[in-house]
Amino acid sequence: MILINLQSISFKIALVLCALSTVGYLSSLLVKRVKLAKISTWILAGAFGFLTINLLFALINSSLLINPGSRDFLSLCAWSVCVVYLALQFKTKTRVLGAFISPFILLFMIAASGETSDKSLLPQNLQNWLTAVHLFCVIMGEALFIIASCAGMMFIMQNGLLKNKKLSMTSRLLPSLNDLDRINHICLLWGFPILSIGIIAGAIFAQLNWQHGWLTDPKVVWTFAGWIIYGFLLHQRLAIGWKGYRMALISGAAFILLFLSYESVRICFSTLHNFI
Amino acid sequence: MIVLTGLNHKTASIAVREKIFAGCQEKKDLLPGLMSINGVEEVLYLSTCNRVEIVASIAEDGNALKDLSNFLAKGGGLTEAEAAGCFYEYRNEDAVRHIFRVASSLDSMVMGESQILGQVKDAYREALTKYATGVVLNRLMHCSFRAAKRVRSETAIAVNPVSVSHAAVELAKKIFGTLDGKKILLIGAGEMAELTGTQLIEKGALSIIVANRSFAQAELLAEKFHGEAASLDALDKKLIEADIVISSTGAPAFIVTADMLKNIHHERRNRLLFLIDIAVPRDIDPAASSLENVYLYNIDNLQDIVDENMNVRKREAIKAEAIVDEEMARFVNWQKELESVPTIVSLRNKAGEIVKDEMDKAAGWMQNLDKEDQAKIDNLVNSIVNKVLHAPVSVLKEESSDISSRDIVAAVRRLFRLD
Repeated sequence: MILINLQSISFKIALVLCALSTVGYLSSLLVKRVKLAKISTWILAGAFGFLTINLLFALINSSLLINPGSRDFLSLCAWSVCVVYLALQFKTKTRVLGAFISPFILLFMIAASGETSDKSLLPQNLQNWLTAVHLFCVIMGEALFIIASCAGMMFIMQNGLLKNKKLSMTSRLLPSLNDLDRINHICLLWGFPILSIGIIAGAIFAQLNWQHGWLTDPKVVWTFAGWIIYGFLLHQRLAIGWKGYRMALISGAAFILLFLSYESVRICFSTLHNFI
Repeated sequence: MIVLTGLNHKTASIAVREKIFAGCQEKKDLLPGLMSINGVEEVLYLSTCNRVEIVASIAEDGNALKDLSNFLAKGGGLTEAEAAGCFYEYRNEDAVRHIFRVASSLDSMVMGESQILGQVKDAYREALTKYATGVVLNRLMHCSFRAAKRVRSETAIAVNPVSVSHAAVELAKKIFGTLDGKKILLIGAGEMAELTGTQLIEKGALSIIVANRSFAQAELLAEKFHGEAASLDALDKKLIEADIVISSTGAPAFIVTADMLKNIHHERRNRLLFLIDIAVPRDIDPAASSLENVYLYNIDNLQDIVDENMNVRKREAIKAEAIVDEEMARFVNWQKELESVPTIVSLRNKAGEIVKDEMDKAAGWMQNLDKEDQAKIDNLVNSIVNKVLHAPVSVLKEESSDISSRDIVAAVRRLFRLD
């Protein structure tokens, strides 16, 4: 009981800190002060700490990965985006990226707070280590893709400002083109293999349990489409040498397309993945 | 009284500034010489390429300020005609404001430049080592450093570059993040291109390739940067290697065309390319700007950025002036408090003397009392004196920052016959 209470408290603190950091990041864009973005990064790091504690408690309370609650699942999504962003931030010092990413983290957290922590996400027959690997890797892969796309969108903004010969405060606040391109590159480079592992784990599980029918599931098709686009972008970057604007444009467009199609699949079709 | 005299780029021509600068540089005993002037209590000498100034704390009466100006004029060997109109003199709050503005770079030729604070600090350090400063100037200089620091941190006065070469460096950083390992291609061996190239190398750029119509001249400049020389015929190949291109030839037609860049696009593997065209007529085809991952800036674009940055600095200067006023008010308050301190000390000393005299007189009959009673009487007397003095001392402290403080100090001194 105490553990469940502690888990709930740490989740609430993480939610408040996450909201604060999102407000801080967005204000830093508005008032054009890097210092505010720096403070927001620390607040987000705090939120990440509490979120980690929350997930550790979840791991102790139940078997998080084998049988995650729906709140824990969404918390894990928020945590994944958070860990990828903070790692990149540590590496590239591009704090303003947070203004684009923290709203996503907050959305996951708000969605998580709407769910009850004891509601089991997966039906009994799907609780398996393969689904755990599938879930974790797909979430991480998508989180990396979100960040690659955010960096791409920021690249397009910065590119527009520099092409128009405007060295405005917004331009000064945004990271350099090279840094944004590097973030896009790193995220694609890591995201693709991780997503691939997730998809393979899911495919093995589906083949073992369902044998047929799962390949035409709308969400499987959607994930596969995302994976193809991901692979295409990585191929163009590594083999053809695409860089900068074109990469940014396509990863941004792909993200919007995939997000919209995911929502439409979720609303319009019945799917084997009807628990998310 | 704090005074300041000197000349700067606004009041004196470069010829006059040179003379004063050279004259004062030669004098090794400059500060002792200034200290020996009658009425000078503390002194500090500031000399930069744009200004020569003396800040001093002097006695209220006397001619010390005039003597300080004359000392400078004589040191520089200026004739009376040359010196006339060059020197400015500030007293009290005007002098304080001026030195605060100087340290904060509000009075500089390029407003917001960062060197001046270091130069003021050096001047102060020099005065300290020669024991030329005291309580007043020490406090004044520390307050001026605080004002300068606040101006730098609380306003954006020094944030944006206000020279074409610095603007180019800032743009390069916005494109590449860091300039480490970047290759620069200088087309033409113009002075401006050389200056910008130097700035980029200082910021970490890896190497410079100089391409010029005259290969000999290219070699000359390349040698200076430890770079590589190339002829204009090999421009295509060199463009493939380069990350930043600075062009400043006198050629009548475009030297770098959009087609040329399109052709090497693939070989460059789509790397970002920053083109700076500071030539008039232009060397680089403006159509290059529409190419992917190519960022072209001509001299007008850079100048527009500089102008906009200058406007930002002017807007920020209003905030900076308010900070200077605030810090000045703090200093002036402290100074006024300082004025009342000697009076408070004299008042306490006088009371102490009276108590001692009266106790000595009473020593005869007090010796019959036991020690405990003697101590009680001692305490009683001291307590009465402290209570009587409490009100005037409090008023002196409280009113020290007020405009009427001098009258109150004068009244107390007269009432208690302290002078």
